[in-house]
Amino acid sequence: MDPITFSIIRHRLFRVIEEAVITLKHVSGSAVTNEGHDLMVSLYQADGSLLMGGVGFLHHLTSAAEACKAIIRRFAGQIADGDMFLLNDPYTAALHTSDIYLVAPIHHGGRLVAWSACFVHVTDIGAMNPGGFAPEAQDIFTEGFSSPGIKLIDRGELRQDLWDTILNMVRSPEMVALDLRSMIACNNVARERMLALINKYGTDVVDGACRTLINQSEVRLRERLRELPDGRWQSRQYLEVKGEIYKVLLTMTKHADTLTFDFTGSSPQSKYSVNCSKWASLGGLFAPLFPLLCYDIVWNEGAIRPITMIAPDGSIVNCTRPAPVSVATVGAIQSVNNAACSTIGKMLAASEKYADEATAVWHANHFAIFMFGNNQRGRLAIGILTETFAGAGGARTFGDGVDIGGEIPNPISRMANVETIEAQFPIRYLFRRRLIDSAGAGRFRGGAGGELAIVAHDAPDGGIHYVLSGKGPRFPQSDGLCGGSPGAVNDYVWVHAPPQAYNIDRFAQGLHEIPGEDEPISWGVFPLMGDDALYVRWNGGGGIGDPLDRLPERVAADLAAGVISRQAASEIYGVVETAGSVDQGATAAKRKALRQARLVAGPSQ
Amino acid sequence: MRKRISESLMVEDGEICCASCAQALAPAGASWKKAAALSTVPVKELPGTGSNVEPRVVLRRFACPHCGHLLDTETALPEDPFLEDVVSA
Repeated sequence: MDPITFSIIRHRLFRVIEEAVITLKHVSGSAVTNEGHDLMVSLYQADGSLLMGGVGFLHHLTSAAEACKAIIRRFAGQIADGDMFLLNDPYTAALHTSDIYLVAPIHHGGRLVAWSACFVHVTDIGAMNPGGFAPEAQDIFTEGFSSPGIKLIDRGELRQDLWDTILNMVRSPEMVALDLRSMIACNNVARERMLALINKYGTDVVDGACRTLINQSEVRLRERLRELPDGRWQSRQYLEVKGEIYKVLLTMTKHADTLTFDFTGSSPQSKYSVNCSKWASLGGLFAPLFPLLCYDIVWNEGAIRPITMIAPDGSIVNCTRPAPVSVATVGAIQSVNNAACSTIGKMLAASEKYADEATAVWHANHFAIFMFGNNQRGRLAIGILTETFAGAGGARTFGDGVDIGGEIPNPISRMANVETIEAQFPIRYLFRRRLIDSAGAGRFRGGAGGELAIVAHDAPDGGIHYVLSGKGPRFPQSDGLCGGSPGAVNDYVWVHAPPQAYNIDRFAQGLHEIPGEDEPISWGVFPLMGDDALYVRWNGGGGIGDPLDRLPERVAADLAAGVISRQAASEIYGVVETAGSVDQGATAAKRKALRQARLVAGPSQ
Repeated sequence: MRKRISESLMVEDGEICCASCAQALAPAGASWKKAAALSTVPVKELPGTGSNVEPRVVLRRFACPHCGHLLDTETALPEDPFLEDVVSA
């Protein structure tokens, strides 16, 4: 095949996905899809293997491949042109029940030539808690509707009986219908554009280009791995639920042109819904691997071949049915994301050639806060606080992480405007801003996280409720690199308003300005009623290198910008300011003293 | 012959060394953390800590025993072993 035709087909495949994503967002009406970009669209080969991965939450690329393969097995001989299948069972392929896969075969001339697959986090899935994350669930059976595969559209005709049944099992069925419609439209566009491509160039030419693309990815990733040093790197992530502590322990071994991710030593599966299944862990390690090692390589089956995963059965990263998994995406899966990001970062930092590609861990702790209740228009509203997608960048070996700079597993995520959330729910923001001292310290610091506080406002029922779940506020998780510190922890505080709140400060600008009694919370369903407030902060990114090597002028700039406190400038960075400018002599002396103090500690035991 | 292990560590003449002062720490391919100066600080005492941080979790800081340059950090509970990162010799 001539290289120009190959290049055109490669770019057309990218564009197929891009246009399908645009379609999905245009049809969807939810903030979690349009703002958080909690979505994914990808193309798969006729056998279900990954052909071209798209953007969105990257841990879905390999899981949706498994979804296609599961449909191929289950519906052998019954897959026709115009069909569309729904799958959301975590023990078959999905990450959790509320991330529904809709997969569609693409036929040309009567022959199955490819699949398109997409997902969105649907507004509700009928779990015991609204919104899909179910911290109170004790097993998969209480986490909502779960299908290992059904044919939702048969030869272009929607199966109305199934459609009605699904919508009969969920809260806010009109929003879930819109979620499903957005995915149907997305797959229709992907199919039409793929057929246009095949009609123009012919099946053989497109097939040949696809085979070449996959082989190229494998060859190029193996070449890259051979350029990187052999070795073994470890990472450990803690998570906590209601006083129980769990660990995700990862040992990544790089040998020649292969990488092995071994989760031996991780905690047994939990009784809480932070677990994840095997397919979810596999996707979880690829989410940072694709952007960090394959930033210039097409994300497809070829890039998967050099990778091996070991995940012990019955562990928190490979739980067994019927363990609950509804919080997986912000639980064990994200811990796998973080651990893989950390070990890959260490490997890159060990390479002269690729050191500039190394990064500390980005935004490592999602908080899933799903608001639910009647809004100011008297209608049931369910939806996530999208600040969890705002994130914070990890430091790089050449620069600071980006403040509120997103996350590695979803390169296009962002948060909604305050006004978008206030229009959807009967709440008012007291403040939302960058959080001081949240960035992991280092020669290059991590990006800062953020903080917010909300109160009920114009609520017909006096307020609203929310489901809070995640990995807890007890451990830092955005690990630093090469001596850098982790980003600060998440925090969730329920501020109980004083009994007589008529003098309450309606414009408090910090947690400690909000009148009332603070109660740290982290897991369960809570009210936001009356004059009570909910305060939330999210973690910063990890830092890289010794903080005492940071240019004092950068420290002073961070201090002036409110990114760090005077305490951090002095105690962590060893910078002394006099009359608003760096005292170079005093700073040198302070840093020398801090280094000496490290020596007093003595050898490790 | 120098070989990079990280921003803060290198291998020189078969020894893992501090990249800042070349202090030898351990043979190449071996664990070097036991030769480092270790200081620990509870995470709850760090600037920016939250209201509900696990009281036992610490930030381990491994420094060069000669120049005090920070070589690596890790978050840990006291009972957990050091993370081991080994670049093949």
